[in-house]
Amino acid sequence: MDGKDLLKKEQGGIDSTRNIRKMTPLVDIYENDDEILLHAEMPGVKKEDISVNIDNGSLTLSGLRTIARDGATDWEEFGDVEFQRAFSVPQTIDVNKVRAELKDGILALHLPKSEAAKPRMVEIKAG
Amino acid sequence: MFTRMSDIDRMFEAMGLLRGRLGHVFEDFDRSFDQHPGWLAGGNYPRTNLADRGEFLELIAEVPGLSKDDINVKIQGNYLEISGTRNVPVPEGYQVHRSERASASFTRSLTLPADVDSEKVTASLKDGILELRMPKSEAAKPRQISIK
Repeated sequence: MDGKDLLKKEQGGIDSTRNIRKMTPLVDIYENDDEILLHAEMPGVKKEDISVNIDNGSLTLSGLRTIARDGATDWEEFGDVEFQRAFSVPQTIDVNKVRAELKDGILALHLPKSEAAKPRMVEIKAG
Repeated sequence: MFTRMSDIDRMFEAMGLLRGRLGHVFEDFDRSFDQHPGWLAGGNYPRTNLADRGEFLELIAEVPGLSKDDINVKIQGNYLEISGTRNVPVPEGYQVHRSERASASFTRSLTLPADVDSEKVTASLKDGILELRMPKSEAAKPRQISIK
């Protein structure tokens, strides 16, 4: 071993400095002929703190909640948290038409199916 | 000599790494308790935070998906009761793939650290968080004492 080793920084793994608790939000998933509908529970998360990412068949939801603290705390059963969950979505989802709404702490995500993937009635012609 | 130093360095690094990994294991373990939907905890739903802000007490509760008509708040002296029902209806015409959010009714009673004036309590609901501002009754309010 020579002096070179001293200059080279050896780092096995870098821990993230941000140490906010992660939580998996509860979700409901529904489907009809036109779309897949996902409801995720994110109480206390503001609209601007939610990110929805769809990339190569994987959907990632993330919502950051920060609770304002003021006065003397008597008890605290919930706190700052990052709601995070990933799903795999079928390629047949039309990514450009995905819509999201936030109401009462529930994120509703509409994932429309592309035209080609919708069920179609096939007409049988009499021969 | 230098070789040795770098060995020691490396050893500490490995230890740090291990510590980090262990930290994650503990975190995951803790988290597994959080994962329960509130109602399984029995009488612990909704989760609440209480802060004493001098003139009033401030309570916040996690109530995702509930509208103001679904929640009842009852206050008497230092006794507070939050009750309600949570309905999670399946949207019309949809087929269910996954259902983690259950319908349930709940009641939670709490003892506040001070008597509050129930007439002046205000409640608001935003983003699934219920916030109660409960002014303390006159006797429980902080008071400035002048020294004679």
